[in-house]
Amino acid sequence: MRILRIGPLGITTHRRTFAVGLVMLATLAALLVFALAWGKADVTVLDSLKAAVGISVGSPGDFVVGQVRAPRAFTAILVGATLGLAGAILQSLTRNPLASPDFIGITAGASTGGVVTLWLGLSTSLWFTAAGAAIGALVTSALILALSWRRGIVPLRLILAGIGVGFVAQSFTQYLLTRMDVHDAGTALGWLVGSVTGRTWTHVTVAAVILAVIVPIVLWHGRALRTMEMGDDTAKALGISVGSSRIVLALCSVLLAAGATAITGPIGFIALVAPALALRLTRNAGVTLIPSALMGALLLLAADQLSQLMPATLQFPVGIFTAAIGAPYLLWLVWRASRGGPS
Amino acid sequence: MPRRALIAVAAAAALLIAIALSLAIGARAIDLGTVWQAITDLDPNDPEQLIVTDLRVSRTVIGILAGAALGIAGALMQSLTRNPFADPGLLGINAGASLAVVISLTLGITGFAAQVPFAFLGAAIAAVIVYAIGARGAAAGAPVRLALAGVALTALITSIINAVLLVDDATLDQYRLWVAGSLTGRDSDDVMALVPFVLVAIVVALIVAKPLEAVALGEDAARALGINITATRIAVIVTVTALAASATAAAGPLVFVGLAVPHLARALIGASLPWLLVVSGLGGAALVLVCDVIGRVVAPPGEIGVGITTAFIGGAIFAVMARRMKVVEL
Repeated sequence: MRILRIGPLGITTHRRTFAVGLVMLATLAALLVFALAWGKADVTVLDSLKAAVGISVGSPGDFVVGQVRAPRAFTAILVGATLGLAGAILQSLTRNPLASPDFIGITAGASTGGVVTLWLGLSTSLWFTAAGAAIGALVTSALILALSWRRGIVPLRLILAGIGVGFVAQSFTQYLLTRMDVHDAGTALGWLVGSVTGRTWTHVTVAAVILAVIVPIVLWHGRALRTMEMGDDTAKALGISVGSSRIVLALCSVLLAAGATAITGPIGFIALVAPALALRLTRNAGVTLIPSALMGALLLLAADQLSQLMPATLQFPVGIFTAAIGAPYLLWLVWRASRGGPS
Repeated sequence: MPRRALIAVAAAAALLIAIALSLAIGARAIDLGTVWQAITDLDPNDPEQLIVTDLRVSRTVIGILAGAALGIAGALMQSLTRNPFADPGLLGINAGASLAVVISLTLGITGFAAQVPFAFLGAAIAAVIVYAIGARGAAAGAPVRLALAGVALTALITSIINAVLLVDDATLDQYRLWVAGSLTGRDSDDVMALVPFVLVAIVVALIVAKPLEAVALGEDAARALGINITATRIAVIVTVTALAASATAAAGPLVFVGLAVPHLARALIGASLPWLLVVSGLGGAALVLVCDVIGRVVAPPGEIGVGITTAFIGGAIFAVMARRMKVVEL
């Protein structure tokens, strides 16, 4: 057990968690170097690193690495971390490894919000899309909460209400697509697949700002989250204000999911899988926030590299890869749980 | 008249009203007198009567076919898995049929008659997967997990479909009309060929209803009654697959029809499975027709596919259902 302290932010970690975190960080760095240096255009590793931080190395490194590969890789890392964190918070709050913003309607609501901004002609700035996605996600979350609230929240009922609300939001998105002109509908569809292709430094900035604002709030409440996993009564006895912490954390999770959706479109399964994998590696008793975020970043960056390694005719958006990996995992989880294992 | 028969009659009346609406309402509203005349004594020179006979009759028949098939398939699946969230749409069986149809499109197979076997195969594979995962209904939390398994399976299949469509523009063009769940995209003669097929499946469903009811009560009780449990289950899965595949081939993948209708029917009728199947079939047909009529009028001058309206209305019903469930049932 060791405690990292930065001012009032205390992060308690087990030795193993710390070591696993370092290994993930190192893997992420190695993968990032690969993402920057590898590709059709021949750029040496050193040059690609220079170009990524803005040091001119001449053509083609300046453009290919500085404007294409680097923003794409950093978008994948930041959005992956955002999704991993959003999933970790939600799974911890609901005490259910099946909870994930992409299945309980939050991502669907964010998508609807994003498409609404496009429909209103407000997609000129990524911030408008992000605001639209946040509003959409908040509205659907409020609906899900209102529908599942019956003298308290039962996580399973929340998940079910979320599935239903998600379908409503999705069909509303499809309705909007039929009401748009063809060009906008094409843009919207491209965004709805979920992809990190063609992302710019603006996307990286927006993702970084969202994380910079929300991560400190989440870490501030991190102790409350861990204590609440032991049960509300224990948490209350330890002096945690359960109600307010839960609302703040739920809001953070929703806004993280909405931010990620605004930047890349809905990318499924990262928020579901990353916390579970992180848990397995760290062997922690409860959901771990920072390892989940690191794992999310690793997964999305790796999935994107994998998608680029495919032959040209099979270069699908990364959302298709994450689904192909994540869906069997979820099915296995359900299958195992239905054999009487832990849900 | 006994209460159950009364409810069945009421459901039939609802379907009749839905049929009348479906024939009369659209981009051009046609009064019911003209509709009646078009059906009973067609005047080939009246354009309004031709709209009814050429467009709206086939559209209505497809809606009835798909709705009845899904309503009955949902009721059967819920009884088989003892799971209130079993729905061929939600659990990915319709998506499986869709994927198979997409694959047949990429292979250059365009005829509807050739696509139906593909739809059947895809639906069967998805049904077996979902059944394998969802059939162990005894554990706590099983209904939710089955619903999530369905969502996951649907997400996986959808992403495979997207992958195929991104590569193949010609298939995308045909598929996007079909997937919106439109009752108008198919050649009506082709779809009429499905009618006898679905009727046979419905008759089989009614025959297996009694044995299935006994199996649902418990395997020991069923065995004591001399029922072949395995044969009953296989017959039910095959029937569900046939119904879901036919509905999907005819109208695109529709979610929630097989969920919401049997749920509502059960609240009115109680546990009797044969009656439940009858009312679910009538109610499913009525729901799809009403959703289609709503889709025709909410977005003038265009229309919204019935897949979108059923997902919107059904999703709302599903969320309310989740709210009303007791904790122990989850």
